[in-house]
Amino acid sequence: MGSVIRAENLKLAYEKGKNVIINNASFTIEQGEFVFITGPSGSGKSTLLKSMYGKLRPHSGTLEVGGYNMSKIKRKQLLQLRRNLGIVFQDYKLINEWTVEKNVVLPLIITGYSLDVQRVQAEKLLSHVKLTEHAKKYPLELSGGEQQRVGVARALSKNPFLILADEPTGNLDEFSSGVVWDLLENACDQLNATVLVVTHKIPTIFNIPYRHFIIENGGIYEVH
Amino acid sequence: MFILPLMAMLIGIEFVLIFNRITASYEQKLKNDYAILVSSKKELTTPMLRNINDKIDSVEVLDKQKIATEVVSGVDKKNIETILKELPHFYRVHLVDYMPLEELKKIEEQLKRIDGVLSVEIFGKSYHIRHSLFKLIENSLNIFITILFVVSLLLIIKQMEVWQLAHKERMQIMEIFGAPLMLRSGVLFKMAFIDAIIATLLNLALFLYIKSDLAKLKSLEFLGNDKSLLFSVTDVFIWFITALVIVFISVFYVALKTSEVSE
Repeated sequence: MGSVIRAENLKLAYEKGKNVIINNASFTIEQGEFVFITGPSGSGKSTLLKSMYGKLRPHSGTLEVGGYNMSKIKRKQLLQLRRNLGIVFQDYKLINEWTVEKNVVLPLIITGYSLDVQRVQAEKLLSHVKLTEHAKKYPLELSGGEQQRVGVARALSKNPFLILADEPTGNLDEFSSGVVWDLLENACDQLNATVLVVTHKIPTIFNIPYRHFIIENGGIYEVH
Repeated sequence: MFILPLMAMLIGIEFVLIFNRITASYEQKLKNDYAILVSSKKELTTPMLRNINDKIDSVEVLDKQKIATEVVSGVDKKNIETILKELPHFYRVHLVDYMPLEELKKIEEQLKRIDGVLSVEIFGKSYHIRHSLFKLIENSLNIFITILFVVSLLLIIKQMEVWQLAHKERMQIMEIFGAPLMLRSGVLFKMAFIDAIIATLLNLALFLYIKSDLAKLKSLEFLGNDKSLLFSVTDVFIWFITALVIVFISVFYVALKTSEVSE
């Protein structure tokens, strides 16, 4: 098992260091682990996630994701890294002008897979998230829960080594939340993907082992 | 739609092309019609005058006999011969360019200094009026074309803002998932390419119409039979290349603008 994410004395800040969000954080996350990160609103959970897909560069310290140093990563390398990540957002971030099946295979389109491969993978994933009948619909024709399942399917479409999920059930009802948790559990358990979920609340029923970090007052602490 | 501002821009370019051709042709016509009249006791030749000023194109000898016949009608033949012997040589001096009056006066001075030259007539007043009028028209059209360019540029900038709003979300989502610039702006490139083709074709239709129908107008009679001044096939290539350059620069600009900025 190799470490997928490694942070050492990591400091994340906005406004050129004036607004410090995470200070002096050190942790390591291994391949195949499921990790919850919780904390109060505004504590920096989403900021931490942003730094992992390169939307925010570390102010100081070290952050390595998939072997890339996120402080020094070049633009081309960043795009390469992102192609191998699965990202799930609270607000889904689906392309509303594209059909559900096209949204699901966005990572495959970006990587340049053939239309045949895209079609087969879209069928498989949509059946997996129980949205086969919605394949030709557009995101805005679906409910919030269905849109998030499309978002999770998209995150899984290229068998990523790391899935980053930012409040994936934040806007969902209990049933949809359960479906999303199942999908993320399976990705970790069966595909050996590392899953890092930022959330307000850990689900009461969770079937696989996980690690839990809390962000508080700029620090990151693991709960044992 | 990018077509309208693009068309306005292409119309501006075509006006520049047409105007350049028409002014060049008109200038040539003015130049051909114009000559300095020189009378001289001694014979003058083209190489001799060219040595004095390289703006002199050629020297045309005027028929003395003809001049004498017109001037001294009624005088008997013997006297005409005497007059002819006494008459100086007359020349029409043609110039290389249609130049400003100051240049012309300089040439006049140089010609007057030649040994044997009796008089030089540059027809300065009418020449100056024609030249000034020509320059006035040229400058007015240049101002008009500049305004047209600025207006179309503003329209293009506006369109780019619309594009940015319409495609920002999609392009940013694609970027989050690692799409390179060319891929996430693919739709825009496709649209831009189609717009460039449509704008070029619409312009082609417009100027073919102008060439076939409007060229019959009395006001365009000064063009003579040379209707090719109004449209040339190479113009279409110039429009298309220009349209492509404009739209691709715009798409690149939008793509870079929508690219996420590291916070």
